Amino acid sequence: MLSYSLRRTGQGLVVVIIVSFLTFIEAHLLPGNPARAILGVHASQAQIQAFDIENGYNKSLPLQYVNYLDRLIHGNLGFSYQLNQSVVALLSERLPATVVLVGLSVIVALLLMVPVAILQAARRNTAVDYALTGIAFVLYAMPEFWLGLMLIMLFAEKVRLFPPVAPQGNVPQILAHPAGLVLPVATLALGSLAVFTRYLRSSLLDNLTEDYVRTARAKGAGTWRVMFGHVFRNALLPVITLVGLSLPGILGGALITESVFNYPGMGLLFWNSALSQDYPVLLGVTMVVGLATIVGNLIADLLYAAADPRVRYLRQ
Amino acid sequence: MTTNKPLIESEASAVTPAAGEVTPTTRPLRIAVETLIENKAALAGVIVIVAMLGFSFIGPLFYHTNQITTNLPASLHAPDGAHPLGTDNEGYDVLGRLMIAGQSSLEVGLAAAAVATIIGVFYGAVSGFGGGIVDGIMMRLVDGLLAIPTIFLLVFLFTVYQASTLLLVLVIGLVAWLVPARLVRAETLSLRTREYVQAVRVIGGTNRRMIIRHIIPNAVGTIMVNATFQVADAILALASLGFLGLGVQPPATNWGAMLSTGINYVYAGDWWLIYPAGIAILLTVMAFNAVGDGLRDVFEVRLQRR
Repeated sequence: MLSYSLRRTGQGLVVVIIVSFLTFIEAHLLPGNPARAILGVHASQAQIQAFDIENGYNKSLPLQYVNYLDRLIHGNLGFSYQLNQSVVALLSERLPATVVLVGLSVIVALLLMVPVAILQAARRNTAVDYALTGIAFVLYAMPEFWLGLMLIMLFAEKVRLFPPVAPQGNVPQILAHPAGLVLPVATLALGSLAVFTRYLRSSLLDNLTEDYVRTARAKGAGTWRVMFGHVFRNALLPVITLVGLSLPGILGGALITESVFNYPGMGLLFWNSALSQDYPVLLGVTMVVGLATIVGNLIADLLYAAADPRVRYLRQ
Repeated sequence: MTTNKPLIESEASAVTPAAGEVTPTTRPLRIAVETLIENKAALAGVIVIVAMLGFSFIGPLFYHTNQITTNLPASLHAPDGAHPLGTDNEGYDVLGRLMIAGQSSLEVGLAAAAVATIIGVFYGAVSGFGGGIVDGIMMRLVDGLLAIPTIFLLVFLFTVYQASTLLLVLVIGLVAWLVPARLVRAETLSLRTREYVQAVRVIGGTNRRMIIRHIIPNAVGTIMVNATFQVADAILALASLGFLGLGVQPPATNWGAMLSTGINYVYAGDWWLIYPAGIAILLTVMAFNAVGDGLRDVFEVRLQRR
């Protein structure tokens, strides 16, 4: 397990370096030069020169990249001149809020996934199975922002059950108003739910054809006993990997969901910074989002290897 | 979004031809037609796609509306005889606008999927065929790009650059080629060890010939299935961008951009600004997904029969 973990972490680190390289390239895609793009049109020549020297933009590109990496390692993601705050300070409020939103949505999706997929697998090719597959198919194709708008129309405007706007402030303040979290979490969870159930259903069906199921049946175990006692636990394993792989999609969905509900997370910060062309924030958030995905995937793979010893031997 | 799909699609790519036959290039078309007859959902998908194309491109020839200049006195009218789907906040007729928006959504969706597929196929084939260090470097680059959610890249790029149709196609295509690249690489890795590909090398065929004449044609099932999903993803990506107010220069619009104005009137209950554009996106995306699923079933069945 240790050697597998080390190897897998090493791979993750390589990808982190590549993401940092991509973010570095992004900074050089900015119109004109980075100093002009970041300081704005009114900056004087002297300010631009000072900025270039301070950030090392007067050096060669490879050297600039090394400096950029050095700053990243020291936790410096840049400075927003528009908000007059470091990107790290901005993220220290916004990142936890997004973690809450994404975490709750994934938990809700996983909890709902279990009964739905089991019902579908146990009653496969019946009306129930087809109906649930149909619903998953619709949810899968539904853009998050439209789903969010529909939920607002139904549950905030027609029936005033939940507030249409997310609670504001930091994490404790958000959690103090759980009603305001219902619609954003539902919006984000329903999209993932469609993917998760579809996958668990086919994983369950695959496992139902395994030899150990025949053995269990031969020993007299009924449908539900086979399903819960044997098949479910095995079928659930690949879902760990699926959650890891779905992370970029879920984080992208969080950007949209946060902008629909004005949820004070990293996605909303990113969008607002896009509208105000606040490039240091855009670059910093991109780096953090990439990092979050890589760490998420790493955790998923390690969990999987811990749960299923076959993986770590197979991959050696 | 794209990122949700690789796991599910890899099932298809795992199944590869057992023996060394080369698929004649005419066969995929016949298979595609077979799909229609065999799979009702896919047939429905094709019908919806054709209907959407007709609605968007032929519709404006019969239903004339002013989609160039705003008409503020006529804004936010509820549906009536003159405006079957009402008017939006700038006085545009919503039904007519739906057609114009459909044109750009479908154009960009189809073209971006083509760009993504072409880049992905060649990248994947070269990476898988090259193997070793080349493969390692090329695939780590893909891993890195996959780690950043598509929408974050798109929002960044359209903050930097002025939107145009060509740029939308290129940019959406350029962030979407990663999945086909991975799928084709996986196919290539298994195909390049086959005897018939080795035989090409023995009789002196070039690498280019092996990739273009033997490896890509054999991966065509995987490529077609993924290309279909790519269209759905590209339409969704464009819609998300439009909703965020990026990638559109008025008076141009797309289905997502139509919804971005709708959000301001959701509390007023102006449903005609919310439902039509949303349903158009949903139906189109579902249609392409259904066709993709159908194609995958057919290719898998075909491979199982051997």
